[in-house]
Amino acid sequence: MSFADETPEALEQAEIARAPSFRLLRRLVKRPVAVVAVVVILVIYGAGIFAPIVSPYGFNEPDFDNRFAGLSLEHPFGTDRLGRDTLSRLIWSAQTTVIISFAAVVTGALVFGVTAGLVAGYFGGKTDAVIMRVADTLFSVPTILLLLIINSTMERRVDSLFRDVENFLGTDWIVSSGAPSYFLVFGALAIFGWVGMARLVRSQVLSLKQSVFVTAAEASGASTPRILFLHLLPNVANLLIVGITLSLGAAAVAEVGLTFLGIGVQAPHPSFGAMIFDYSGVTNVREHPQLILFPAAVISALMLSFNLLGDVLTEELSPRRR
Amino acid sequence: MDTRRLLSLLGGIGAATVVVIIVLAVVLSGGGDDNGSGSDGDGPSIGDDLPDRESNELRLFGPDPLILDPACASDASSAEYIVEIFSGLVSFDLDLNLIPDIAETWETSDDGAVYTFHLRNNVLFHDSSRRVTADDFKFSIERALNPRMLSTVAEVYLDDIKGALTYARGQADEVEGIRVIDADTLEITLEKATPVFLFKLSYPVSYIVDEREVGDSTCFSDTRWTLNPNATGPFKLTEFALGERIELERNTNYYLEPAPSLDKVTYIITGGSSFTMYENDEVDITGVGLNDIERVRDPNEPLNAEFVTGEQLNVFYVGFNTEEPPFDDARVRRALNMALDKDLLANNILEGLATPAKGVLPPGLPGYNPALEGIPYDPQAARDLLDEAGGPDLLDDAIIIVPGSGATAGPVLDAMVALWQENLGVNIEIQQAEFGLFLRDIDEANFQMFSLGWIADYPDAQNFLEIKLHSRSANNETLYSNPEVDALLDQARTEFDEDARIELYQQAEEIIVNDAPWIPLYHGKTSALIKPYVDGYQVPAFVLPNLRYVTINK
Amino acid sequence: MQGIAGYVIRRLLLAPLILLFISVVTFSLGRWAPGDYVDIQAGPRASDELKDRIKEERGLNDPVYEQYFRYMANIFQGDLGQSVKYRGQDVEDVIFPRIWVTLQYNVIVLILTFSIGIPLGTWAALKRGTWMDPLSIGTFLFFASIPVVVSIPLLQWLFAVKLSWLPSGGWNVHEFWGIEIGIFSREAILPILILTLPGIAGIARYMRSQVLEVLDQDFIRTARAKGLHESAVVTRHVTRNAMLPVATIMGFELAALTAGSLFVERFLGIPGIGQFAFETIGSRDYDSLMAIVLLGSAIFIMTNLIVDIAYGFIDPRIRLAGGAGAETT
Repeated sequence: MSFADETPEALEQAEIARAPSFRLLRRLVKRPVAVVAVVVILVIYGAGIFAPIVSPYGFNEPDFDNRFAGLSLEHPFGTDRLGRDTLSRLIWSAQTTVIISFAAVVTGALVFGVTAGLVAGYFGGKTDAVIMRVADTLFSVPTILLLLIINSTMERRVDSLFRDVENFLGTDWIVSSGAPSYFLVFGALAIFGWVGMARLVRSQVLSLKQSVFVTAAEASGASTPRILFLHLLPNVANLLIVGITLSLGAAAVAEVGLTFLGIGVQAPHPSFGAMIFDYSGVTNVREHPQLILFPAAVISALMLSFNLLGDVLTEELSPRRR
Repeated sequence: MDTRRLLSLLGGIGAATVVVIIVLAVVLSGGGDDNGSGSDGDGPSIGDDLPDRESNELRLFGPDPLILDPACASDASSAEYIVEIFSGLVSFDLDLNLIPDIAETWETSDDGAVYTFHLRNNVLFHDSSRRVTADDFKFSIERALNPRMLSTVAEVYLDDIKGALTYARGQADEVEGIRVIDADTLEITLEKATPVFLFKLSYPVSYIVDEREVGDSTCFSDTRWTLNPNATGPFKLTEFALGERIELERNTNYYLEPAPSLDKVTYIITGGSSFTMYENDEVDITGVGLNDIERVRDPNEPLNAEFVTGEQLNVFYVGFNTEEPPFDDARVRRALNMALDKDLLANNILEGLATPAKGVLPPGLPGYNPALEGIPYDPQAARDLLDEAGGPDLLDDAIIIVPGSGATAGPVLDAMVALWQENLGVNIEIQQAEFGLFLRDIDEANFQMFSLGWIADYPDAQNFLEIKLHSRSANNETLYSNPEVDALLDQARTEFDEDARIELYQQAEEIIVNDAPWIPLYHGKTSALIKPYVDGYQVPAFVLPNLRYVTINK
Repeated sequence: MQGIAGYVIRRLLLAPLILLFISVVTFSLGRWAPGDYVDIQAGPRASDELKDRIKEERGLNDPVYEQYFRYMANIFQGDLGQSVKYRGQDVEDVIFPRIWVTLQYNVIVLILTFSIGIPLGTWAALKRGTWMDPLSIGTFLFFASIPVVVSIPLLQWLFAVKLSWLPSGGWNVHEFWGIEIGIFSREAILPILILTLPGIAGIARYMRSQVLEVLDQDFIRTARAKGLHESAVVTRHVTRNAMLPVATIMGFELAALTAGSLFVERFLGIPGIGQFAFETIGSRDYDSLMAIVLLGSAIFIMTNLIVDIAYGFIDPRIRLAGGAGAETT
């Protein structure tokens, strides 16, 4: 689909064993690629989650006498134009990535995608047709343009919505924490992100529908939600594991692109997209390469790790695994 | 199909594509490699390359214009081309002096309200078909003001002319104040005498268009003629590929000295990295931005010899909503001002691409006051003043809005927020808004603080102080109102003695600076690289025709 | 199931409905966005009364549905409207030259991506178990993991600044029989390279899994058992059977390209449709935006339809009625 779709194409066609495998973890440990990938992901996510603790400086804490500093003990990754510590900004950017990619994947792929897929596959007929036509439509528009339009339409409205909520609750930390812009980014990703997952789940459900355990559950008078979420869902669990892995990586990269187009967290709060944006001029690569290379390396490493992990998972979970 | 063949076919297609592209690219761009000296004539290639660079051609990196109809252009990007292609009664020279253009001379009546312009009798349109007469001015000015045109600028620049607004609202058949005496004489009567009328007349909106080609076009429709207009300026537009390229050629009929010497001027308007293009000899002049300034300033760098810098008539500032708490309190505004180190912003964060501002008027503008002290940087005094006004809690919810939709608001904004945080302990939030939205917020006073720049339309203090800070001016976004300032500005508007005017404006500026409806931040400078073979190019301090002074000596 | 003909007809009938839906959504979202082009372009000095008069005159104050119907009525008369980003120029004059630019290098990118990705994937599958498999795919996976916004400045720096092999950007054309073609100039190499590199891994990986799947199937085992030479097995049976589903990724690739093109054009200064599309949103150039969205959607719909039909013809096992994406059964 594109850019904002978090379910990469390969997954559409991937065939994955249905039954959840308890030996998966043990098998993964034996694959060095997977171990390295998981470590990289955990380090970056860990840094993001514990940013307030592990970050040596604040994200907008300038040191005007120490601008464009090189690598040193005090600033392991140097400083930027304002003398802000690059390492700290990377760590805070990781937090942005964690928040946005989790929120996008949970709402988009998991909640919308899985539900739509289960419902469409199980009920079939009109329901299926409607859901799939909506999916087709989303599949047919130039996603990135629609995202930009939605952003310019909704930005201000989302912001005032959050301010209303603040007034209602009598707090004042919500807007200043950047919640509206997080909401916009992951909302934008989620709108288009559910389609791939929904199709995937649907096609699995279609073939599971006739299986013994579903017919048995139906015969015993189980309620529909029960069949959907207790009987069918566990049977697509492996699919979800792979799907989420790949989606998290794609969402992290999508954030970078969206930030470039102005759909992103509000300055001075950093994100990988914003850090790259600031120093992405070609002559800047010549003058201050470290300022683009560090964020670029981190985001690429993250994406590569997710990709590799996804590959290994697909292979390990494949029924034809030899 | 046999699969083997399918596979090899596929590989073949890929390989063939690469080979064909490479071969053709090498063959076709053979001339381009050695700077276009080789293949001016018909090369051995199948296709025709873009015309290779002519020896007397200037290549520039230009902005993408909105519309090249002088009656409509409201943006500096369009005006930059229009002033080279079209011309009017008066214009500016490189030293910012008002000079006669198509009007050779003029007289003013005793009360200053009636101007009689005597036109040159040798001004021809680009196609040499016809000579410009006073009727052309009447037509062009009335066309711009015609309500059918939907011009957003005509009323702004022509409002001094008697009957202009009545005509613009459709309540008259012609503009009362414009009278054609004979083919070479035009009389313009003003509503009220004002020293800035001629300045406003230098703006493109009153420039000559060719009655025979503009037809029923308006500012929003049927504008195809602007792709190849017949006009009177020093250069004629020969090619306009929208969003891609603009090509100008010398007007051989041009009437002023010096006449243009460049055979051709090509603007590349696709965007991209102009600095790299300059280094690769793809353009002859480039602006120097933050990324490159350090390198260019290095005396050991060969580019250093090609570096020029100059004043620009602009000011960047933070504006406050002076009618809403807490910014209705001058102490709060002054505290925020004192907490900002403008020297640091201009000289360090912007690497000297700007001059720190003390007041509103930029250096280089008549009336600039070098003695003005402004509000100096003093963190301690700032904190004390804020405490006196109620403490940092006042600014808990403060938001500063800025135009733009990029990933970040830029280093200056980040630095300002950090300085306020450090010196005052206040956390001011940045909120970016798309330009249109931003302007509307400003217009509706739906803001607390904003950050913006103002660029001169004409080099006069009135264009800054009265337009931006008079309480009755529509452009006074801060809603600042001080009767004393208003009185000074009103007095200056009708004062014809230059020294006395400047004195009045400087008094007003001083009061304004101390009232602090603005935090004047800095005045942007031009910084450019110019190839050594380009002579006479001066980066203009504001939009004015400057290409006719340029020569190329290779 | 009325077979392929019925399916195609149903999909073709559905396409205009989808387009209509997209037009309503885009139009109303666009108009709902705060501010319009008069606010943006009027300049800071125009008075409110003047701006309001222009809006009135331009129909911007009418209810959105009225504006929509007026727009659609024009569309059906073949009038795409007039741009405001380039004031008053006809939309077709503005967008078609740009679409042509983008189309040219995108086609080359597609050809290269597939013609490198498919052999690479096949090769990797056949070398499964050796170090060459993970290395070959891994290399391209690495390229695929770098966001374009990073690869653009880095490659631009490498080729234009450091090595000075290529121009830093821009677009240059040669004329062939009156048609301006830009892909044979040195300017085109950088965008093509930047967009091709990240796409290969996706195709190769997918091709590899398909080949592995086919290799596992009975008829291959039979062929091998019959003593057929390994290379013959691969070329005669494996590739063919594996390649068909790969064609279905076309839709994905195309969509990924539209996004990639936007960034490439912005960075490199290529006068293509991606960059312009971005600008139309900021400048509220409603008519151009609508035309671009509708044309883009129509292209996507057609691509997906063609891919599906092709897929259905090739592999009748596929149940077509399900929807756009091909499903594994």
